[in-house]
This record gives sequence, structure tokens and C-alpha cells, in this order.
Amino acid sequence: MSLKTKQVIIAVLGIGFLVSLIYVQAMEVARREQEAGLRKVHIAVPTRSAQCVECHGQSSPGIVAHWEGSTHAEKGVGCVDCHTADKRDADAYSHYGETIATVVTPRDCSRCHGHEAEEFWASHHAKAGNILHSLDNFLAETVEGSREPFNPHSPTPGRAFDKVNGMASAFTGCQQCHGSKVALLGNDGETITMDDLEPDENGFPTNQDAVSRISKNQDGRPLLYSGSWPNTGIGRINLDGSRGSCSACHSRHDFSPRRARQPENCGKCHLGPDHPQKEIYEESKHGVAYRDLREEMNLDATEWILGKDYSQAPTCATCHMSGNLRNGGKVTHDPGERISWTNRPPVSLAMDTDINHAVVKETDPEKRRALIHDSWQDKRGRMKEVCSHCHTPETTNGFYAQYDDFVLLYNEKFAKPGQKIMKSLLDAGLRTSRDFDEEIEWTWFYLWHHEGRRARHGASMMAPDYAHWHGMFEVAERFYMELIPQAREMAEHGGLRGASVTATIDEILARPEHQWFEQGAGK
Amino acid sequence: MASSEASGRRRSLLAGGLLLAMWAALVASYGTFASYAVRFLFPARRRDPSWTYVLDAKSLPVGQALQYITPDGAKITLARQGSGQAAEDFVALSSVCPHLGCQVSWEGQNNRFFCPCHNGVFAPDGTGVSGPPGDAGQSLPKYSVKIQNGLVYLDVPQADGLAQVELRQIDESERIVGPGHDPCLMADLDRDQDRRFS
Amino acid sequence: MSVAEWFSERLPVRGSDLRELTNEPVPNHLRRWWYALGGTPAYLFVVQIVTGILLAFYYQPSAETAYESVRYITEQAHFGWYVRSVHKWGATLMVAAVILHQMRVYFTGAYRKPREINWMVGMCMLVCTLLIGFTGYALVYEQLSYWGATVAANIADTVPIAGPWIKQFLLAGDTYNARTLSRFFVLHAAVMPALMILLIIIHIAIIRLQGVTEFHFEDEKSGEPDHFNFFPDHLMTEIIMGLILMVLLSVLATVLPATMGPVADPLNTPEVIKPEWFLYVTFRWLKLFSITTAVLSMGFIVFTFFLWPFIDAWVRRRWPKSEFSVYVGILGVLAIIGLTVWEGAVAH
Repeated sequence: MSLKTKQVIIAVLGIGFLVSLIYVQAMEVARREQEAGLRKVHIAVPTRSAQCVECHGQSSPGIVAHWEGSTHAEKGVGCVDCHTADKRDADAYSHYGETIATVVTPRDCSRCHGHEAEEFWASHHAKAGNILHSLDNFLAETVEGSREPFNPHSPTPGRAFDKVNGMASAFTGCQQCHGSKVALLGNDGETITMDDLEPDENGFPTNQDAVSRISKNQDGRPLLYSGSWPNTGIGRINLDGSRGSCSACHSRHDFSPRRARQPENCGKCHLGPDHPQKEIYEESKHGVAYRDLREEMNLDATEWILGKDYSQAPTCATCHMSGNLRNGGKVTHDPGERISWTNRPPVSLAMDTDINHAVVKETDPEKRRALIHDSWQDKRGRMKEVCSHCHTPETTNGFYAQYDDFVLLYNEKFAKPGQKIMKSLLDAGLRTSRDFDEEIEWTWFYLWHHEGRRARHGASMMAPDYAHWHGMFEVAERFYMELIPQAREMAEHGGLRGASVTATIDEILARPEHQWFEQGAGK
Repeated sequence: MASSEASGRRRSLLAGGLLLAMWAALVASYGTFASYAVRFLFPARRRDPSWTYVLDAKSLPVGQALQYITPDGAKITLARQGSGQAAEDFVALSSVCPHLGCQVSWEGQNNRFFCPCHNGVFAPDGTGVSGPPGDAGQSLPKYSVKIQNGLVYLDVPQADGLAQVELRQIDESERIVGPGHDPCLMADLDRDQDRRFS
Repeated sequence: MSVAEWFSERLPVRGSDLRELTNEPVPNHLRRWWYALGGTPAYLFVVQIVTGILLAFYYQPSAETAYESVRYITEQAHFGWYVRSVHKWGATLMVAAVILHQMRVYFTGAYRKPREINWMVGMCMLVCTLLIGFTGYALVYEQLSYWGATVAANIADTVPIAGPWIKQFLLAGDTYNARTLSRFFVLHAAVMPALMILLIIIHIAIIRLQGVTEFHFEDEKSGEPDHFNFFPDHLMTEIIMGLILMVLLSVLATVLPATMGPVADPLNTPEVIKPEWFLYVTFRWLKLFSITTAVLSMGFIVFTFFLWPFIDAWVRRRWPKSEFSVYVGILGVLAIIGLTVWEGAVAH
């Protein structure tokens, strides 16, 4: 190679180096603008997902736009990365050369977010689907609807309906929070769920007979049963055997941590007559401060650590899930980790949990101690860590004393006596074991499930109006003005069988806290 | 003859051009690289100032002042001059002497700021009175104050990553020293500090 | 008195001396690029020194501040991401270049008498390069840094007799502690580079004293000169190499910039943890055998290669026609590639 040639090569390469440096400068400028918020983050569509983005950018541009605004897009996590499936998956299908599934389950998310998924699976959230797929769901499936479809009794002008789906209330009302049991349509008209597929530990179906019954469209895509999908209920029971739906809180396709940090997100389900946590929070000083200061709360922060990234006000996530300075910024995806009373059942229980994260119901102290894996004190300690960022120990301890007293009052004055009366009616054969077919069962349900919870939740999150007017006031009214009279009436009509019930009621009303009532009634 | 001479000139011109191109490309590319290296060594520009909470207005009695170190490391004297709750009742002055950067201190008995390095004297509003700053007509720079819901905010530059780390060390031990401070005030502020940073 | 005279009185070096010193004739085979690989790691080493000095302006070697300072460099400082990415890719390319150069020397038998000592110096430089690479990523104080340092110290611990001392020296204690990171910094940024510079001087000095091995090829025309000038001919070759490397580094830095892993968490070893690619071989080796076997065998293999010129000479004395060293070399390369790909392909 002659010297001249080398000179040419050097000149060309030198210019090449210069060009690459100019590109570096361009990137630096872009980075600065991005940092100053002048420019959106550049999204590079991952190769495998390029085709998805191209077609769906036309057919469903919103989905693509949501994704483009997500951290996933920024970090190069594309459509296929989450929707990818194994050929062995029951709901897998080939879609333009990629094997994918429509429903993305926590098992899919756990490929990258393993730690979060583990915590979530240990939580009560993941078990939210259990209540629905057991007899407990009698209310929506039978009382409000019908387990069997039935014929319409008169025409709907303009529409031709031949069947009334009696499960509609359960599908739309219960399952959108609690989660559906995702089902595929079978060739034989039956649905196929994980119960039929019997997935192994990797989520692959083991029952090939069930797999062979899956109904598919002409493109080979398995058909999902519309009663079970679309669904983002938090306890969804998926075809791969996993529990839950991450998009319940981290809305799908943009997966916004910002949104998951805001109370409105929890408010999809935690509101209404039976557990108005969202309204309770809004009434509390915490919610008021949040509404005032949310713009300053740095909700887009990467870690969002209380005491570091923000201190203005807590949201649901702050106290129940997010990291804070005292706990080293540790986020938990099990919101039960910091809750020391469960106010869900008729009678509140201390949140001593066993190794499976289930509430310990054992009453014998010795056996109880052996079962407890994580005590209510541990949980309260974790919550107090959160409180301590803004409150002195005196305040926090004082609050907990008030809260404990309140729960105990409700338990002892109304919940346990109510339970006892309901049991005595059942024992006496004056009511059936079927729920909701006697008036008193509705009364009792209102008392603990609606009013009793409102009272306790109100107390737990510092909302006096919920603790009192929407809470204990209504509990008391329901107890004295409905439950007691109804039970007495049933006992009177029950003749001899009613004697034990009357005795139970008398014993309860003779207690010092209830004496006023009998005296007031003029007896 | 003439044409071969011309072609010879062309050849040597071409050779010279090549050599020049080579050198130009080398100098330009490595020079650019070197300029990036130099740019790297100058820290990123300070963040734009933003309102930063300092303390509860109530905890600073009239006529008193305290020292405040901003997240960016700037040192500020915050004094309360009026009993009202408006921004005009407070004054926030840099406590760095504009002459050569020494720390000025408040001398209550003389009602002035004093810089010990070269005897610079400033009036309570920060105007240079005598000594080198007075002679040169320099004053202590002022920062904007805002009062919102009874809380005092200062418009100060924010820290970038590295400064924040140092901030904690500085401001826990040195943040509050000021004219006429009383121990109760300090205790109050310490607690306030705990709440915000620990 | 002219300026030239003024200087030559004070610096008694003549231009012709300098020319002679720098202008050693270069054998013709170095016109072939494959034979000019030796300059590549040297050039990259200079890049590493320049970018490394730049990074050291901001880097703070303590457990509390290291990660934050690297984050500052990566996300905030002007061109910080570029400087750090060039440093990171420079390291990768340097390891690759050292290995390629060594392979060339090995397969052409250039280590044979009288160049045994320079081969051994070269082996030292290889080990030095790998150690600088390793101590480099320990500085970021991300998960990989912390656990990589911990694992390496415990590997060192298994070396008979000296092990515990090495571990103590590396970690400044029995476990990773508050004083560990500054050690890695001093090793990475001062001790090892100084050693490297010393080795480079020795390496080049020996080359200059002995002259490079000369190879002749069949397609060379007879009657042409055997050598060409170092200046400017070979220097331009090296400049071309340097520019190619700079373009490559800039492209890699922009396309695949250095990122930040999760910050070190002493209480949590990540599920999948791997060192940098150039240590995959060692890592896979450690998974194949018990720790002592693996460490001792690895040490034995490195030592064998260190002494290879003598072993090779002995073999060739006994079986003059044998191509033994070529076969060993091919086996070695295949083993290195195989183990690296294996480690890279599997999660655990």
C-alpha cells in the first residue's frame, strides 16, 4: 500500500471519526433537551415488535401510543416481550410469525419482575378471586342473577335476545374487581379453565384432553369466553394457573407507576357502601393534603421514596406499599404487610399470619404462637415506620390506641353478639343455612359487611364521619332497630324452638353496654 | 515539455492537497474529541432556581437571622426584619463576600455584616459600605423570598446529583448559626431537619 | 544565534539520532494487517488512560458515593455518557485486541528462541489487562460490582497458602466493607496501569533490542527491499488502526452506551449474576469443577502457557517435525470460545 493511499485512508477515516463525534454531539443535545423536558424520550421499537407496532399503529393506534409513553418502551421492552407465549400454552397462537397469547398474566410479568410477582402472590390481593369461585358468590350469581341462563319473558323491541345470561352481574360487577376465572370456549360448548387444563408448575397444561377441546377460529387463535375476558380483576385466575392481573393497578400498555401511586387507582374497587376506603381517604387529612399538593409530589420519580422524593402527603400506596426512608426504600407488592387488623370479616381479627400468609385463626395461645410467621406487631411496626416520617411516636401510638379501642368496641358490642344471635337462630332451625333468603340475613349482612366495615375503615384511616355517621351510628341502628326486633319476632313465631334464641338475646341485652336499651324500651 | 511540467505541478499540488487533507482530518477529529473531553470537565450547568422550603415563618423571631446552605452549596443569611407575614418582612442575602469569597457574619451590636478577611462592611440590606466591597460598590447578592401558608421559601438553584450527597453532611451540623439565635429556635429547626432529611 | 542552536546547546540531541531511534526499519511482513495487531492494545491503552483520567475527575471511590457519582457521570455531566461508554468499550476491545495479538504470536511461533522472555512479559500483560478490566467494573458499585468483587476474593481465598492473604489484601478485611472500594480504585487507576506501563516499556524495549521476528511469504518478489520505514509508512498504518478504533468506539458508545445496573445490595445476590464476558471462561470453569480443583487447574493452565516457549522447545527437540503447539493452540482457542459461548448462552 503506497503512502498516498494511506493518506487518503487516513483522511477518510478522520472524517468518519469526525462524523461519529458530530453524532455524539447530536445525542448529547438531544439528551439535554430531554432532561429539560423539551423533547420526548426517543423510542426505538424493538425489532421483534416492529411489525406489531406497524399494524397496530393503524388498527389500534391508542394501544401503540400508550406503549410509546411507557417506561417499557423507553427501555426497549416491546409487544412481543410480554405477549410472547410457548407453543404448549393453552391460549398460545401464531400471529404473523410470533407465538403469542392475548392474556398477559403475572407469570409473564414475573419473567422480569420476579420479586414483585412473588410479593404479590403472597398477598390477599392475589387471592381475591377465591371468594368468587366458591359458594360465597351466591349473592351475585343467584340472588342478583341466575346460575342457569333463562329465556326472556317478553321481547326487547329492536333487539333479538334468546337467552338471559344470569351471570351478568357476577361477570360485570364482582369479577372486574375480584378477577374472573379466565376461560376458553370448548368445541362442545363448555368452557375450559385452569381447572380443566391442570397446568404444571411452568403453567403448561397437563390435561391434553382439555387442550384438544379448545375451540379456535380460522387463524388458529383460541377463543376466550367473553364472560371471563376482558378482565383485569386483581385476583384473576389465569389459564396458566397463576393468580392475579398486574394491569389491575398498572394499567396495561402504559404501565404507569405514576398512576399506581395515586388513590384514584385503588378507587376502582376500594369504594362504595361496603368498603369506601377511597372516600374515607378523601375525607381524611391525608387525602385533603394530597388533593392540595399533588402537583408537588414528584409522582413521576423513579423510586418515589417517602422523605426523599416527597413528603407532602401520603397516598394509599405510600402507607401500604411504597418505599420510605426508614425502611431503606423497600417497596412491597403485598399491601397486607403493614396492616395490623383485618376488618374484612364480621369480627375483626389481629393480622397474625402464618407461613402461607393466611390469617391465623387458632385460639389456643401456645399453638397460635407456633403458627405465627409474621405477627400483627411486625406489621404495625412497618406501618409505624411510615407514620414516623411525619408524626412523632406519641402521635402514632395515640392514634393506634384510639383505633384499637374502636375496633374492640365494635367487635364486642355488636359483631360478636350479632354473630351469636345469627348462630342461635340457625341452631334453633329458625333460619336456613342458605344466605339471603330471610330478612334477618340481609339485616346482618348490612350490619357487618357494609356499616361495620365502614365504621372500622373510617377509624383506621382517620375519617370521623365514616367512623361515626356512616359507621357506628348505622351499626347501632341496624342492631337495635332491626336485628334485635327481627330476631325476637322469629323467636316468638318459632314457639318452643325460639326459647333458646330469646334466652341468647336476653343474655346479650342484659350486659351493661346494652342495658340502656331494655330500660329505654320501658321493660 | 510544457504539458509535462504542468502535469508535474498538478501531481505535486495533488500530493500537497492530500497531505493537507490528511492533517486537516486528523486535527479536526482528534481536536473535536479533545474539546468534548474539556467540556466534560466543566460540571453540568446548575439547575434552574426553584422555590425551596426553608422554615416556618413563626420560628424566626423579628430581628433575628439564620444561616442556610442551599442544596447547591450557596450560603444564605435569612433575616426577619418585620413582624408581618409578607415576603417584604424577610430578607435573604448571600453570606459570601463579593470581594474574595469569605464568609460574612452578622454583627448585631454594630448592626452590620462584616467580612473578616479584608474588613468589608455591609449595611443590613446588603449594600457595601466600606472596605474593598464598599469601595468597589459591591453588595451582597439578594435572593427572592416567598411566604406561602406561613412557610418561608427561597428561590435558589437546585443541586445536581453530586452536591446532594454533600448537602446532608453540611447542613446537619452547620446549617443554623446566626445572629441572636436562641437554643429553643435551634431545637425547633433541628427537629424540622430530621423530618425532612433523615 | 539561532533558536535551533540555542536548544541544541541545552539539549544535546541531534536530529539524526532521533530519526535513527524512531525510525527502525520495519520488516515487510508488517505490511500485512494481521501482523500489525500489537499496536492496537497499546493504542487502546492510551484511550483508556485518557478517558480514565477524565472519569476520575468525577468518580468518588466510597460505598456511599460511588454509584451516585457514576450516575452523575452517566446522566448529568456533559458528554459523560460518551466518555464512560468509550472507556467501557475500550476495555472490551482492549481485551479482544490483546487476545488476537497473542493468538497471532502463538500460531506464528514468534515466541520461540530468543523471544521467550517477551512472551512471558506478554502473558503478564494479559493477566494485567484482565485484572484491570475486573477491578474496573467493581468500581461502579452496582450489584455486579459488589458480588463480582466478593466472589473473586473468595476464589482467591482458595489458593493454597497465599489465598487468605490475597483475600485480606483485596477486601481490606474478611468481607466486603467500607474500606474495600478505595482499594479497587487504587488498583484499577494507579497500581495496575503503572505496572502495565512498565511492562509495555519492557515489551517494546525487547522488541527493539531483538528486532521483530521476520517472516517471508511465497508471493513476495525477490530483489525488493526486505524492510520499509517506520516513519512515516508504518506510523500511518498505526494511525489508520487508531482511527478505525476511534470510529468503532464512538459507534459502539452511541449505539450501545454503558448503562447503570441496580445499585449494590449487600443483602441480596441477584438471581442471574455474571461477570464481564472476558471472564466467562473462568466463570464456567468454576461451575464445572469443585472450587479448589478449578482454581488450581486454572492456575496450572495459565502457568503452562506462561512457560510455553520452553515446553514447546522441549517438544520440538524430541519430535522435530511435530505440529504439537498448533494443535494445543487450536484446542485452547476452541475451549475458550466454547466455554465463553456456553456461559453466555445459559442463565445459570
